[in-house]
Amino acid sequence: MTAELIFIFLTAAIINNFVFKYFLGICPFLGVSRRVDMAVGMGFAVTFVMTVAGVLTWIVYDLVLTRIGLEFLQYITFILIIAGAVQLVEMYIRKFFPSLYESFGIFLPMITTNCAILGACLFIQKFEYGFVQTLVFSIGAGLGFALAITIMAGIREELDFADVPKPFRGPGITLLTAAILAMAFSGFLIKR
Amino acid sequence: MLIGAIPIAAISIVGWSVLVLFLLALAFALGLTIASIKLRVEQDPRIDQVEQALPGANCGGCGMAGCAAFAKAVVLGKAPVTGCPVGGPSCGERIAAIMGVSFEMKVKTRPVLHCVAGSASRKLRAPYHGSLRCSEANLIPGVQGCAYGCLGLGDCIEVCKFGALRMEDGLPIFDYAKCTSCGACVTACPRGLIELIPFKNEQMLVVGCSSRDPGKVVRQVCDAGCLGCGACARKSDVFAANGNLACIDYTKYTDVDSLKEAFAKCPAKALVVFGPTGRIPVKDVYAKPSDTEADRTEEAATPA
Repeated sequence: MTAELIFIFLTAAIINNFVFKYFLGICPFLGVSRRVDMAVGMGFAVTFVMTVAGVLTWIVYDLVLTRIGLEFLQYITFILIIAGAVQLVEMYIRKFFPSLYESFGIFLPMITTNCAILGACLFIQKFEYGFVQTLVFSIGAGLGFALAITIMAGIREELDFADVPKPFRGPGITLLTAAILAMAFSGFLIKR
Repeated sequence: MLIGAIPIAAISIVGWSVLVLFLLALAFALGLTIASIKLRVEQDPRIDQVEQALPGANCGGCGMAGCAAFAKAVVLGKAPVTGCPVGGPSCGERIAAIMGVSFEMKVKTRPVLHCVAGSASRKLRAPYHGSLRCSEANLIPGVQGCAYGCLGLGDCIEVCKFGALRMEDGLPIFDYAKCTSCGACVTACPRGLIELIPFKNEQMLVVGCSSRDPGKVVRQVCDAGCLGCGACARKSDVFAANGNLACIDYTKYTDVDSLKEAFAKCPAKALVVFGPTGRIPVKDVYAKPSDTEADRTEEAATPA
């Protein structure tokens, strides 16, 4: 059981990293990865929302929707839950971490439409995880996102001082960096 | 389970869907309401009031991230109450009332065109049958005689979201009643002919030329261009002639009438007045109704 949970965690966080393997959550990955402190904040906000949303959607889907044959409502309920969870997180951060709230700006409400969150909720149903597995998977996937965005921000901070060829400046070098990072992460794939 | 106990067949699937979604929405509405009360952040109530007074378009025209950011900056004193370019004076007044400061009419900037050469004044090197977009036509060196003047293909008109521009005689005309000074046309013009200038009066004198060519070259390609002779600069220090082109320092500018003499000295017809409906021929501004067109220069020279 413990070994299985560790496997789920590592798979979600590193091997099947949401950003590098599934290309989910690219918008905040590119948008908020200019400074490391903001990237860490965004990463943990996503982790938090993902965990809350994953657990809540699991409860609603497995304990309510499947019992009364309403599986087709999963998208609308998931989106409702994610939107509600993001609202909560936003209020919480605004109350207790005002400076973090300021630096997030528009990106915090945008977690609502972050495909990584919806993706995680749908993966949980697809893999038919139990409650504990759902919890571990959500945290793992969120931390994987946090890891990805933090690495990216670290590289981009250094890139500010690099002499980038003119045609690559701006989004070009960012996407190239993301591509090389994704290739590095593909090294975790296990070949059988 | 409670849910399992209810005979599913008793309620149709549509009924179940509605019920489940309703209950979910209700739960979230309650939860968020409670959270918004528990987690309320005490902030200056004026921030909300200012935000209410703003247009709420979140256009970013003020330079902030959106209306909420602008409202906060106003309350913190980091932005002027008149900083919203879209809301205009009425919006500034409301914000000033909330902030309890006296409302001073900020000088509104409006776009003007630094070219007066209509299609008749422009001399072409050869007939042009290429792309009908300024940005593309501008890449062709011989698209028209003047390398600085308006191409008249209307990129600025296309980019205007407010329908404040129209093409007349090969030049865009601004309708300031519709214009919000968003500056889209300024960036759209590949030749950089459009500039936002502070409209201190309803009518503003503008140098209607951008050519940095020597006067002789300008004469060859245009009937209306500025020669860069500097006659205006000798008459009034509002003008300066740098690099073969006259320019107006709008920080020193007062009104159209004070520049009559300088205008009279201009050998070209390169000065132009922009009014509420766009370009006004200078003769209509300076000359009295009885004056004929022929002696307008003389009339303009004599003080009123």
